[in-house]
Amino acid sequence: MNEDLFTPFTTPTVLGLPAAILVILFPPLLVPTSKHFINNRLITTQQWLIRLTLKQMMITHNTKGRTWSLMLTSLIIFIASTNLLGLFPYSFTPTTQLSMNLAMAIPLWASTVAMGLRFKAKISLAHLLPQGTPTPLIPMLIIIETISLFIQPLALAVRLTANITAGHLLMHLIGSATLTMLTINLPLTLITLTILTLLTILEIAVALIQAYVFTLLVSLYLHDNS
Amino acid sequence: MPQLNTTTWLTIITPTLLALFLITQLKLLNSHLHPPTPPKFTKTKPHAKPWELKWTKIYSPHSLPPQY
Repeated sequence: MNEDLFTPFTTPTVLGLPAAILVILFPPLLVPTSKHFINNRLITTQQWLIRLTLKQMMITHNTKGRTWSLMLTSLIIFIASTNLLGLFPYSFTPTTQLSMNLAMAIPLWASTVAMGLRFKAKISLAHLLPQGTPTPLIPMLIIIETISLFIQPLALAVRLTANITAGHLLMHLIGSATLTMLTINLPLTLITLTILTLLTILEIAVALIQAYVFTLLVSLYLHDNS
Repeated sequence: MPQLNTTTWLTIITPTLLALFLITQLKLLNSHLHPPTPPKFTKTKPHAKPWELKWTKIYSPHSLPPQY
């Protein structure tokens, strides 16, 4: 039974070939490209959304931070579309894979830290010690702050993985419970169905919020280092 | 947790990097988010004015002495 719960999170294979590659490469197809001056409603809406997210995220950054706007915008679009596509029944969600989230988190975090060390070495090293620390605590605090710095990408990846996995598990559990109760207790089934519907709405929100949180945290690391 | 099985990691990570760092960025670059700059007002061609009597060159060039 415990194995069954986690089967949606194993990478799918078709005839022994990894189908996850196609699943991961699909979301970019949803990003519109158009060379026309006037587009249809879908493309116009998507471009408006992209521009809105771009403005919202980049408003806090300075000129150096704004060079990342393409990266961060593509990151939020990619994660959000992957999360939303994963909410379709029987579909595979790549963002439940820890490897994928690590592959997104580690390079971005590492480049922000490298940028900080390259251009603002003193200030970024000064982040390793909070102001006003008593002298005996300094070595201890530097170790702790260093650990917390290096755990940032791990936390970033695990946060996304855990949130999406937990949501899918919960929907799976309540869905199967609803189906089982259908023949036993109808009023209770209706209540469970209501909960399931509300949970699905919540999961749609979580899919977007987690994409935003991931990008916001990368953006925050960037802000600290630029 | 099947996510911790590292044998599939390479097949996940490679398309992730491809999709995120190449395709999505190229797509976003190719979609023109900024409205194209309005065309500059080109200089209007000088209209042929009736008082520009070019077609009757009645003056001789300065370099030449007046000819009659």
